[in-house]
Amino acid sequence: MTWLNSHPLTFLVFAPTLIGFLIMALPHSLGRLSRMLGFMGALAVFVLSLAWLLGHGSTGATILVERAPWFTLVGLPVDYHLAVDGLNLWLVLLTTFLVPLTMLGTWNSLKDRIGTFAALFLLLETGMLGALMAQDLFFFYLFWEAMLIPMYFMIGVWGGDERRYAANKFFLYTLSGSLLWLVALLYLANKAGGFNPILMGQAATALPFGVQCWLFISFAVAFAIKVPLFPLHTWLPDAHVQAPTAGSVILAGVLLKLGGYGFLRFAIPIFPAAAMHYAKPLALLSVIAIVYGALVAMVQRDIKKLVAYSSVSHMGFVMLGLASFTVIGTQGAMLQMLNHGISTGALFLLVGMVYDRAHTRMIADFGGVAVKMPVFTAFFLIVTLSSIGLPLTNGFVGEFWILNGAFLSGFGWGRLYASLATSGVLLGAVYMLWMFKRVFWGPENKDPDSGTHHLHSDLNAREVAVLLPLVVLILWMGIHPRTFVAVSETPVVNLLREANAPPVRTFVLKPAVHQAPAAHEAGHEGHAAEPAAHEVHR
Amino acid sequence: MNLTPSQWAALLPLLYPVIGGCLVALMSLDKDQATTKWIRAAMYGTALLAVGATFWYLTDLWTTGSQPTFFQLHMDRLAQFTGIFVVVAAALTILQGWDHFHQEGWVKGETLALLLFSVSGMILFAATTHFVALFLGLELFSIPLYALVGTVRARSESAEGGMKYFLTGAVASSCFLMGGVLIYGLSGTLDLAVAAPVLVAKGLGTDPLVLVGAALLLLGFLFKVSAVPFHQWTPDAYEASPHPIAGFMSVATKGVAFIALLRIFPGSLAPLGAVGVKMQAVMAVLAVATLVLGNLTALVQTNVKRMLAYSSISHAGYLMLGFVAGTPAAFNGVLFYLVIYLAMNMGAFGLLTAFGLVGEKTTFDDLRGLGWKRPAMGVSAAIIMLSLAGIPPMGGFYGKYMIFRELVATGHVGMAILGVLASLVSAYYYLRFLVALFLQSPGAEAERLASDRPAVHAPLAGASVLVCAAIVMAGGFLQAFLANGFARRALADGLGLLR
Repeated sequence: MTWLNSHPLTFLVFAPTLIGFLIMALPHSLGRLSRMLGFMGALAVFVLSLAWLLGHGSTGATILVERAPWFTLVGLPVDYHLAVDGLNLWLVLLTTFLVPLTMLGTWNSLKDRIGTFAALFLLLETGMLGALMAQDLFFFYLFWEAMLIPMYFMIGVWGGDERRYAANKFFLYTLSGSLLWLVALLYLANKAGGFNPILMGQAATALPFGVQCWLFISFAVAFAIKVPLFPLHTWLPDAHVQAPTAGSVILAGVLLKLGGYGFLRFAIPIFPAAAMHYAKPLALLSVIAIVYGALVAMVQRDIKKLVAYSSVSHMGFVMLGLASFTVIGTQGAMLQMLNHGISTGALFLLVGMVYDRAHTRMIADFGGVAVKMPVFTAFFLIVTLSSIGLPLTNGFVGEFWILNGAFLSGFGWGRLYASLATSGVLLGAVYMLWMFKRVFWGPENKDPDSGTHHLHSDLNAREVAVLLPLVVLILWMGIHPRTFVAVSETPVVNLLREANAPPVRTFVLKPAVHQAPAAHEAGHEGHAAEPAAHEVHR
Repeated sequence: MNLTPSQWAALLPLLYPVIGGCLVALMSLDKDQATTKWIRAAMYGTALLAVGATFWYLTDLWTTGSQPTFFQLHMDRLAQFTGIFVVVAAALTILQGWDHFHQEGWVKGETLALLLFSVSGMILFAATTHFVALFLGLELFSIPLYALVGTVRARSESAEGGMKYFLTGAVASSCFLMGGVLIYGLSGTLDLAVAAPVLVAKGLGTDPLVLVGAALLLLGFLFKVSAVPFHQWTPDAYEASPHPIAGFMSVATKGVAFIALLRIFPGSLAPLGAVGVKMQAVMAVLAVATLVLGNLTALVQTNVKRMLAYSSISHAGYLMLGFVAGTPAAFNGVLFYLVIYLAMNMGAFGLLTAFGLVGEKTTFDDLRGLGWKRPAMGVSAAIIMLSLAGIPPMGGFYGKYMIFRELVATGHVGMAILGVLASLVSAYYYLRFLVALFLQSPGAEAERLASDRPAVHAPLAGASVLVCAAIVMAGGFLQAFLANGFARRALADGLGLLR
């Protein structure tokens, strides 16, 4: 037990792998036992993560850390450095929460090789938790790449008809970004003498600005592929649609978050100046992703594909929040990442539940589902509204903060882009509600070939048990979001201060010239540079 | 003949395989060798024993350190490293050969004897700087391999591949010989390590004839590592030869040629500054060509063995990138890469035997769905293929990592980018192997044929694949031990680098 007391994070990260190996060693005929074992293991990891990580207050300090030198190859030391702090606490908990929940939610979805699937799922959990907790960039890179392997097989083996294409595309697309990123990483590590992000940040500031920009671009492309940011999003619809339900949930719920998290944890702190330099193009791409994702989602005929494109739109909000370089925008991005994990994860689960019954996901095959499955309809409605961003649900808070941050940001483009992005919220309501109307309302689709015809049972107790916690979280995050963002406030404020973000604009209702200097002083506390932006745009 | 222990130490690693080879050759005189099980077992047992004795002796030497030079033989840690490397490859080959030749119905003792002679030649090749000994080693390991490629005489392709390999190889050997002669003629010494200072003292360091001589030597090495444009023999020879022999050729020939290249060029000819610089430029150009051509051609192969042949060409490209960087740490990376490459490629060819693919039936389609039928082999295949593609946490990643890091550190960022792009391309064709194993179900006809055939029984090949997969995984987690404790000490003791 003493080992456990000093290495709780190691245990959380690698316990799933151990269980996964155990399951792989079991014979195929024990698939049902393996599934149960996998679920119990994932649940235990979730409970332990709650017990060990929560309740450390909201001081913003690092909650748990494990650090030891690992090895030195070709003169570069690599640290075994895991930590949980304000930036990743809730993402870690989201991961440990979603894994057992998804396993339970897709209990009967797969018919063959369920044991192997559970094992891969647990290996994936190790990859995700490791990537979220790793503080050494080399260590992070290992998990970042290793994560691809189980996901590749999950899509490729258990996916839909085009699964091989989708799995290869997913793998190679992500690999292309991260391999180029590896060269940048090696370049910077060579300058910094190691993979510690703090040392790397110091080394980066000493480089010429042009080089910094190139390095930032290679970091940003690797992360943007994962987010995925327009125009690097094209792997996502294929991967999402072809993946089995559990794969889609985890892909949307956690894997995409790692892109945004990578910006927040590594790309922006290491290259603050270059990040600010590229804030406008990033924000522009985010706005395009928001609007374009929403427009494409609107015309989809497959519910799952619609949800996939809505992911592009929602993750665009995350990137817009990060690009705004304001505290409220960044905090909104943090919350939006959690929101998206919960809401889109829930949507994929719901789509999976209806697919398991009807064996179709085409919107046109449904109609009048509300009559046949009232409980399901209620859950779907709540999640839909949360995805749209109705006040009192989580979606509203995140998007509002992000738009607020973009609007108030000291950049000249802030107001315009915020206004454009707002149309994404509107379009979100359009595509979600229109889909909802066609699937659930209206007269019952009596066609014997239709999906509705094959819906014989409403949700069972297992499915309700899966969806209830998600709905509770949706409301909790909508009503009291501070629970989820309090811990990240200090790190975010520090991050933006160190990045020399332009101060937020202040709006005064009456043009009162004599108040301006006071606001000017207040706004400048801690922000030494860039008074020009403030002066010009007030 | 009174030899001191250290003199025996230099000779025994060469003698053990030769003695074993002679014994096996004698046993194979029995005309019932193919059918009588105990003769077969005795032949394979003798071969394994010879290889095992060499291994045991070399690991023992490793702990005592480098031996004094005897008769132009430098049995230093680099030579011991090479010996261990070759002997492990040979042992895996013998294990896989038992199953493979049984499946092919072509059991001949001479294959083992030739293999053992080849092992001896390889150790000699990497343990000397004296040109005559070097050439002797080159021929002693090449000629048995020419014969081994064409060993399955029942198949006409086999003879064709062997002939092709022999003819091209003979040209490369004569070029190598000519290069040595030029350097000998100008310097008056056959020891290349002595020749360089002599040439510099004579003021011939940048003489065109010296450069030509060095270039011809380099050509000999690059032929053996199958670098573009000297790669043409590779796919045909691999396709023609039995799977384990193809694996042995891809691993041992390439590895030994790279180590000897290391000993001769950066090691011995370093005083000739111009040669070093020009060689680096040539290596850079050829490395690019090798990476591009090897990877792109591998993409379109439908035959797994040809794909693996082009993949081994492209791996030669990555290893050459280490020479482009040219720092001691990069050479350390090259040696580490070779260790992992040994396990990866012996494993990859072993998989073909373990899955029971015989003769011409080695296309991707023949692999369909086999990963699920043989789960242990399937998992090993996944580990080996992902490692070949350079995906962490497998060992192959660290080999590339070390080489790319040195490239970036020496300012060859463009080369590093090319290298990562090449490994991106390579990921596609390695994934194809896994796609066939796991993501595709066998066609109806294949199922019918499979039900007619007896079940594949390849326990030894399977065991060797498991060992390879374990080494590959160990390379990912004990990377510092392998790179610093093994490869680095070989360099430090052999070439005096990285002390």
